[in-house]
Amino acid sequence: MTQQTESDKAQPQDAPEIDQTHIRFLTPEMCVIHLGSHAALHVTVKNERIYGGVFAAYAFPVAYPQGYISLIHSVGEGKDREIGLIRDLNDWPAEQADLVRAALKRRYFIHTIQKINHIGWKYGYISMNVETDKGPVEFMMSWQYDRAVDYGKGGKTLIDVEENRYLIPDVSKLEPHEKSEFTRIIYW
Amino acid sequence: MSHRSAVFNRQLPDDLSELLRREGIFPDHAWMAVETDINLSGNYEPGWLIAEPDRILVVSQPTTAVPAPVRLLLSRESIKEIRTRQGVGGGFIDALVEGIYVEVIGYSNARADIFHKAAKKLKQWVEGQQPSIHPDDDRNPRKCLKCGMTLQFKGDMCRRCVDRGATFMRAVKMMRPYAGKAIFMMCLVVVNIAIGLVPQKLVQLLIDFVLAPEQAHNRIPESPRSWLLALVGALLGTYIFAAVIAMIIGRLASFVGTQITYDMREKVFNHLTKLGIDYYDRYNVGQLMSRVAGDTEQMKGFVHQMTFGFVAQLIQVATVGVMLFTISWKLAAFTLLPAPLVVLASVFFWKRIYPRYYRVWDANSKLHSALNTILSGIRVVKAFGQEDREQKRFGRSSGYVRDSFRGVEYTVSMFNPAMGFIFQLGGLIVWYVGGMMVLGDKNLSSDLHPYTLGRQLQFLGYLGMFYGPLNSLTQLTNWLTQFLTATQRTFEILDTTPQIVQVEKPHRLPAAASIKFENVSFGYNRHEPIVRNVSFEIKPGEHIGVVGKSGSGKTTLVNLIARFYDVDDGRVLINDHDVREIDVDDLRKNVGVVLQEPFLFRGTIFANVTYGQRDATAEEVLAAAKSANAHDFIMRHPLGYDTYIGERGAGLSGGERQRVSIARALLYDPTILVLDEATSSVDTESEKLIQDALKRVTAGRTTIAIAHRLSTLKNSDRIFVVDNGKIVENGSHEELMALEGLYYRLVKIQTELSREPSIDRLAVEKK
Ligand SMILES: Nc1ncnc2c1ncn2[C@@H]1O[C@H](COP(=O)(O)OP(=O)(O)OP(=O)(O)O)[C@@H](O)[C@H]1O
Ligand SMILES: [Mg+2]
Repeated sequence: MTQQTESDKAQPQDAPEIDQTHIRFLTPEMCVIHLGSHAALHVTVKNERIYGGVFAAYAFPVAYPQGYISLIHSVGEGKDREIGLIRDLNDWPAEQADLVRAALKRRYFIHTIQKINHIGWKYGYISMNVETDKGPVEFMMSWQYDRAVDYGKGGKTLIDVEENRYLIPDVSKLEPHEKSEFTRIIYW
Repeated sequence: MSHRSAVFNRQLPDDLSELLRREGIFPDHAWMAVETDINLSGNYEPGWLIAEPDRILVVSQPTTAVPAPVRLLLSRESIKEIRTRQGVGGGFIDALVEGIYVEVIGYSNARADIFHKAAKKLKQWVEGQQPSIHPDDDRNPRKCLKCGMTLQFKGDMCRRCVDRGATFMRAVKMMRPYAGKAIFMMCLVVVNIAIGLVPQKLVQLLIDFVLAPEQAHNRIPESPRSWLLALVGALLGTYIFAAVIAMIIGRLASFVGTQITYDMREKVFNHLTKLGIDYYDRYNVGQLMSRVAGDTEQMKGFVHQMTFGFVAQLIQVATVGVMLFTISWKLAAFTLLPAPLVVLASVFFWKRIYPRYYRVWDANSKLHSALNTILSGIRVVKAFGQEDREQKRFGRSSGYVRDSFRGVEYTVSMFNPAMGFIFQLGGLIVWYVGGMMVLGDKNLSSDLHPYTLGRQLQFLGYLGMFYGPLNSLTQLTNWLTQFLTATQRTFEILDTTPQIVQVEKPHRLPAAASIKFENVSFGYNRHEPIVRNVSFEIKPGEHIGVVGKSGSGKTTLVNLIARFYDVDDGRVLINDHDVREIDVDDLRKNVGVVLQEPFLFRGTIFANVTYGQRDATAEEVLAAAKSANAHDFIMRHPLGYDTYIGERGAGLSGGERQRVSIARALLYDPTILVLDEATSSVDTESEKLIQDALKRVTAGRTTIAIAHRLSTLKNSDRIFVVDNGKIVENGSHEELMALEGLYYRLVKIQTELSREPSIDRLAVEKK
């Protein structure tokens, strides 16, 4: 009894093999980033092909938020293939860079905390009332080590009960009273 | 669609519905309407995914930037596939349209569960099935039924709803078994404080009746020397008595303190062993170590506080206060003048200093972690010559501990002298005012109850006993917070429900044989399935080989059989019983697992082989070791089976470790044997031997063997080829070769590689 499932089903397009053993840096000279049908992000690599349904991911979200951005194209069956890396977004034409930034913003749904209004604590839950780049938010997070994790050198990423993410890029840059309130509860 | 669900048949706002109606869209007639919280720009904006019989739409309230309510419209024919894709903090539903994955709608993690269900329904719809919506769909096992709070995992208890009782009371309750001793101890504490008052009283008697009776208008005693001797004797008696009482208190406190610390530690550890493997995926070992070892110590501190700490001091302040007022209420009133200042200053101070204590804890726990990581990875450190870097790194951690301690202690050392100064101010008042009274100031002293020199000295003595504890009492909140956080951290462990829970009436499993997976899905993270909808059946005694690329999910798949994790969807059946309903002990007894990374404990080889079967006889051990082809190398050691091996099996080679762990599993005599690359670091020849041995011992056993070296699987009855969490091919070696699919390709690659005659050898020797 043998069976064969979808793995060998035709892939969306016959993807030419990109050499996956080498890092390929994309440059504005060799490719164009643009929107295609249904506002999906496309990348056209000259003399290669048009990649549709592309998404962007940071290689070093903490260390290099402007660079080393991977453009990835889905080949189906939950498999993704990297088209290439962008070394530095600032080297790209503004409108193309903005498309990539928008794609990144879509993928990384993270609130950046700008101000802490209030921190409460009850039964192992912390309630936070904060101002973020996405507006004021109130959330609950459980008071656990793995719910507030280090972000870079001095930052913290908070993960609330819904698993939404909140970023404090640098705890030491908070207002002194906010900082002491914060570190009083999240002391690790 | 007669059933309507509150979540999957959302009512749109009236004005939006009206707008849509004008465009010929009737959300009320759609079979599904789900609400999201964010838009595709990653900002908060409500939107709705509307599914009609032949198309899907995404709509939002019109904005100035986007005046049209319809943001996306896709017909059913155009969609080839629906999938969900996980972002960071949220996710997307994608549709495959014209060969391109189009992002249909985005959602934050708060809504991920809903959209995963919605995507499932859309998939059915795309495949031409009739998706159904039940009000039951609204139920979410990850939400508390009572308050709707998201739980950490399915079946976790809701901390908001469960009355955990105050942490403090829980700590007190830990003392219940020792209540008698504790009460006796507290009585002694009171006695001890009372005795503490005696010496000052003796001083007063000494001055006013023996040394300087005139000033107190007392008669000069006839034999002052014998009076003096009597007083010295009384003082001696008091001291002896006080010392004895203190000894008893100390012993009792130590007994109760260490005992409840022990109880707590044991509780925490026992609970830790019950927690699922997923818990250890999330927590780092160093962290847990500091909790088990450090935080439980706080219980001892709690007892200490009762006997010599704040509870005792509170009693002391009260009794001394009473004494001060009886000696001279006027003077006592003066001395209380700086008291509010002391309290205020202390409160302010501790509020500021407290966060720094947290930092000390943090620093210590980081030091633990660093130490644990470096020491367990010491081989890697040495292999890469990183001793210097690790020394520096450790130095930094250690320096952080030093600095944070200094930060606290510097401030404390400023504060204490400052407080001391304030007390001395109180003392100055007593010196002056009391002095005036002794000198006979009529305004202050009354004739009835003359204020004597003896009383003045007694008063000054009590004053020290009054201010001292008052000062430390202000640290009460500080200590309490510290104590409560530490106990909270331990109670947090105790309150974590083991994810693998035994059902009420578990099925006994005398002998297991058949295994069946029914549409099993599982992922370590909630929304990233690693095993996707896998179904298969293994008959009793069948030998199954599992192959697949690294990271394809083989280990994950077989871990579900031993129920290291519980499935998210579908069922795993052994002998037609859901593993979740089988007695956990029986299950573990029947399923023997040789892990991919064999872990051996520090101890003798014998102890390691008999780890799961303590009562095994020497002969059984010999037989198991022989079967695992481990006997010969064990015998090469001068101490044979009594050879002591170090942490993680140090002292044995990788292949030897594997063979010991195979012997361990064989001794267990399981009816189902799971071998996760059990022979990967064994040379081809021994592998052949082990294979033969396994063949002998696995006869009649259901065996599942994961292997990278395909040659080892030739004897399998069937081979499962795992790719990307699915079993993509399933059949005998010949069948799969004939199929010319993934298995065929893997075999071809391997034979090509092994044409290089020594490569296999090399690969072994490199390890
Ligand atoms: N504890 C874990 N937590 C989160 N993800 C995990 C965990 N263990 C494994 N994974 C992920 O699950 C996927 C499958 O892992 P698994 O160990 O099942 O692979 P495998 O097929 O056994 O690979 P290999 O042949 O290398 O042993 C991998 O992508 C891995 O990163
Ligand atoms: Mg594995």
